[in-house]
Amino acid sequence: MEGIYAIWQRDVIKFFRDKARLVGSFAMPFMFLILFGSGMSGALSSMIGGNAAGPLAAFDFVEFMFPGIIGLTVFNTAIFSALSVVQDKEFGYMREILVSPMSRVTIAIGKVLGGSTVAVIQGLMMLLFVPFIGVSITFLMVLKLIPVMFLVAFAISSIGLLIASSLKTSQGFQMVVQILIFPMLFLSGAMFPLNGMPAWMDVIVKINPLTYSVDMFKKIILQPEQMAPALREAMGLNLSIFDHVITFSQEILVVLAVSVVFVILATIKFSRAEG
Amino acid sequence: MKRNIVEVTGLKKRYKDFEAVKGIDLLVEEGEIFGFLGPNGAGKSTTINMLSTITNPTGGTAKINGYDNVKEKNKVRQSIGLIFQESTLDEKLTANENLMLHCKFYRVPKDKREDRIREVLQIVDLEDKRSNIVETFSGGMKRRLEIARGLLHYPRVLFLDEPTVGLDPQTRNHIWEYILKLKEKAGITIFLTTHYMDEAEICDRVAVIDHGELIALNTPDHLKNDVGGDIIEISTSDNKNAKRKIEEMYQLTVSENSEGKLSFQVNEGSAFLVDFVKKTDIPIQTVNLRRPTLNDVFLHLTGREIREEMVSQRDLMKRSMRGPH
Ligand SMILES: Nc1ncnc2c1ncn2[C@@H]1O[C@H](COP(=O)(O)OP(=O)(O)OP(=O)(O)O)[C@@H](O)[C@H]1O
Ligand SMILES: [Mg+2]
Repeated sequence: MEGIYAIWQRDVIKFFRDKARLVGSFAMPFMFLILFGSGMSGALSSMIGGNAAGPLAAFDFVEFMFPGIIGLTVFNTAIFSALSVVQDKEFGYMREILVSPMSRVTIAIGKVLGGSTVAVIQGLMMLLFVPFIGVSITFLMVLKLIPVMFLVAFAISSIGLLIASSLKTSQGFQMVVQILIFPMLFLSGAMFPLNGMPAWMDVIVKINPLTYSVDMFKKIILQPEQMAPALREAMGLNLSIFDHVITFSQEILVVLAVSVVFVILATIKFSRAEG
Repeated sequence: MKRNIVEVTGLKKRYKDFEAVKGIDLLVEEGEIFGFLGPNGAGKSTTINMLSTITNPTGGTAKINGYDNVKEKNKVRQSIGLIFQESTLDEKLTANENLMLHCKFYRVPKDKREDRIREVLQIVDLEDKRSNIVETFSGGMKRRLEIARGLLHYPRVLFLDEPTVGLDPQTRNHIWEYILKLKEKAGITIFLTTHYMDEAEICDRVAVIDHGELIALNTPDHLKNDVGGDIIEISTSDNKNAKRKIEEMYQLTVSENSEGKLSFQVNEGSAFLVDFVKKTDIPIQTVNLRRPTLNDVFLHLTGREIREEMVSQRDLMKRSMRGPH
C-alpha cells in the first residue's frame, strides 16, 4: 500500500514543481475559449440556428464549450501523465522502481492513481475561467464534478499506461497518443454538438468512451433537464443509443467498465513488459 | 568459515543469436569486496543485471543471500542494493525526496527513516545538500547520493556497476574511500564492476571476464604472480628489429603496447637487465622494470590490453548524451 502511495506522491510532487507545465496547461483551453467563445460563437450559433428568436436564442456557445474544455483538459492530462512512465524508462528512474521489492501491480496502480489525481487537479483549475465566461457553477456541481473527473481520468490514465507499457521512447508514445486522442476528442461532443452525423461516424461516437465522459460533465454543468427541449436537442444533449436516451448513472457504469477493463489490461501489460 | 552470499553456477545470457554471458561460475564470500574486471562489452553489466533480477538468465542459476534470483525475486531485491552504470536518480526531486521514496519502496519502518537518511548522507558527506534539487548536483555528488540511497534498506550485498566511470580522479578516490568505509563499518559485501586496473587492485578478489567468459578468479596478488616474474618495458628507435632480436636471444614473447613500447616478462628482472644491457646492440631509448599490474594479467590471459583511455572516453560520451530531463 505504501508503495502505491509513494509512486502516487512522486507524480503529484513533480506536477506542482513543474511551473511551466502548470502555466502551459491553461494555454489550450484559453485559446479555445477565445476562439470559439468570442471569435466564432456568432458563426457557430447561426449554423445551429441560434440567431433566431425563440428557445434557441439562449444557445451560448461558450457555455456549451465549457464542459468540453474540462473534459479535454482531464483527458489530455490523464493520457499524457503516462508519458512519465516512458520518460522514467528513458532517464533511468524506472530501474530504481523496478529493482525494489514492490510488486508490478503496485507500481502500475500507483502510476494510474498519480495520473488521475493530477488530471483532476488540472481539470479543477479550469474552473478558474468561470468568472470570465458567465457560466454559473455551484458548489454542489463542483462536488459532483470531482468524483466524475476522477473516474474519467482513471479510465484514460489506464489507457495511457497500456500504451506506455508497450513503447520504449517518448516520441513513439507522443505519436501514438496524438493519433488516438484527436479523433477521440473531435468525436466526443467536446468541441461541437454531435447532431446530424453520418451513420458510420455516429457509431464511432457511440463507442468512444470520451463521449459518455463529456456528456457527464455537460449534464452536471449545463443541467439539460431545465432547458427547453429544442435547445437541448440543438446542444446535442440527448445522447442516445437505439433511441434510448442514456442516463447519467448508465454513463457512470460505462466509464466504470472501461476503467476496470483498461486498468487490468494495463497492469498485465506493465507486469509482463517489466517482469 | 564465512558463508557464500552470492552463488552463481553456469549462468548464461543469450540475446537472440548473441551469447553475452557464456556460463559463469563464482562464489562471493560475505563481507568481501569482489571485483568484476573486463573490457567493454565483456558482459559485466549483463551479469550484474542477472544477479540483481533485472533480466532473467537464459541458463544456469544464481542465488543471493540464499534466495533464487528467478524464483524468489522479491527476497533477492530486498537483500541487495544496486548502483547502476547510468544514473537512476530523479533529478527533479531533492536528495531527501529521492531517499524518502526509496525508504517507502523498500518498506523501511517509518520511525527509522529519519535516522537512516542521516546516517547514509553522513557516510557520503552530503548532509548539507539534503534539501537541494538533485539537478543542481555535480556528477560526483550524484554518484555519492546514489550510493547513499542504495544503502538505505541495509542490503546484504551492494552491487556497483562501474561506480566511478566518467568521474575525475579526485572524485574517484573519494568514492573509493566511501566504499572502503562501508566495508569496515557495515560489513556489507560489495560486488563491483570496473575496467580501471587500479580499482580492481583494491578488491579482495577479482574475476576477469572477457567475451562473456570468466578467464581468471583470484586475489589481485595471486593473479599478478601467475603472470610470472617482472615486466620489462623498453622503447627503441626500431621496435620491429628489436622485437625480433630479443625474441631470438631469450626465447621470449615480446608484445608492443598502445604507447609504442615493447614489453616482456622475465623471472629475475634486475639480473636480466644487467645482462641484457651488456649484451645487446639494440638502440634503447628508455628502460623500465616493474612488477606486473592487472593490465598485464589481462594481457597475459588474452593477448590484448584493456584500453583504459578509449574506454573512459566512450563512457563519458555515453553519460553526456543522456542530457537533462
Ligand atoms: N539488450 C541487449 N540486446 C542485445 N545485446 C545486448 C543487450 N545488452 C547487452 N548486449 C550485448 O551484450 C554484450 C555485453 O554487454 P554488457 O553491457 O554486459 O557489457 P559490459 O561488460 O558491461 O561493458 P561496458 O564496459 O561497456 O559497460 C555486448 O556485446 C552488448 O552489445
Ligand atoms: Mg557495463
